[in-house]
Amino acid sequence: MSDAEANNAEANETTLRLERLIPSPPEILFALWTEPAQLLRWWAPEGYEPSVDALDTRPGGRWRTTLRRPDGSMLATSGVYRIVEPPRRLAFTWAWEDDSGARGHETEVVVDFEPIPGGTRLVLVQRRFESRQARDNHNAGWSSTFDRLTRIAG
Amino acid sequence: MAAARMPQLDSLFAALADPTRRAIIERLLAAGELSVGDVAAPFAISTPAISRHLQVLERAGLIERRIERQWRFVRVRADALAPVENWLSRQRRHWTAALDRLEALAAARTPRRRKS
Repeated sequence: MSDAEANNAEANETTLRLERLIPSPPEILFALWTEPAQLLRWWAPEGYEPSVDALDTRPGGRWRTTLRRPDGSMLATSGVYRIVEPPRRLAFTWAWEDDSGARGHETEVVVDFEPIPGGTRLVLVQRRFESRQARDNHNAGWSSTFDRLTRIAG
Repeated sequence: MAAARMPQLDSLFAALADPTRRAIIERLLAAGELSVGDVAAPFAISTPAISRHLQVLERAGLIERRIERQWRFVRVRADALAPVENWLSRQRRHWTAALDRLEALAAARTPRRRKS
């Protein structure tokens, strides 16, 4: 496999989906997501100093990371792990926190690490639902409503 | 990567998570603008219940009202989805940059293999 990457970005109106072909095995990638010392090395943009406050990589376990911005202010994200299947799949809830620590809109992130010849197909999907129940109950209705809303909004 | 909390986004998603409210939006999208009575007509629920749904939709920024003489009309707001689109593009930028860094780090940790 060449160094060229596939970086497909596609989304309908309810889901963010990113896909990469990465010339590294799933085990290495999974460790980069789930071991605090490794996560710290890529989680933050340049100039932001990351810290891991919690990374309890078990189903039901909490995670929380904080980024110190260049101006000194802090930016936290947090959630709970739903699925932890080394080295194939990771799912967790996600929300930004505001300055008072209140969590914003909660979403679900699922990261799949699929072994392929020469590396891994990484697929990250983020769904913008309040809860699994809301998603399951209403998935069919969301897309068409959003499609039509988007058309009139555009 | 601003991270302002977006209460409007929360209320917007909560508003749309209800099938009756989605049906109301669908009706308004098809009709353009309806009187409150016409909105309620196809639903087998009370007018007060419809009014509560309309309140939720209005607070979420999804619909707006207009009063003309004794009639009250509602319609979908043109920029109803702007908060969602802003959220999506911000989140996409965040993950794209993070995966770039992940990939570079993974490459540094992967033993070079011969191309077969």
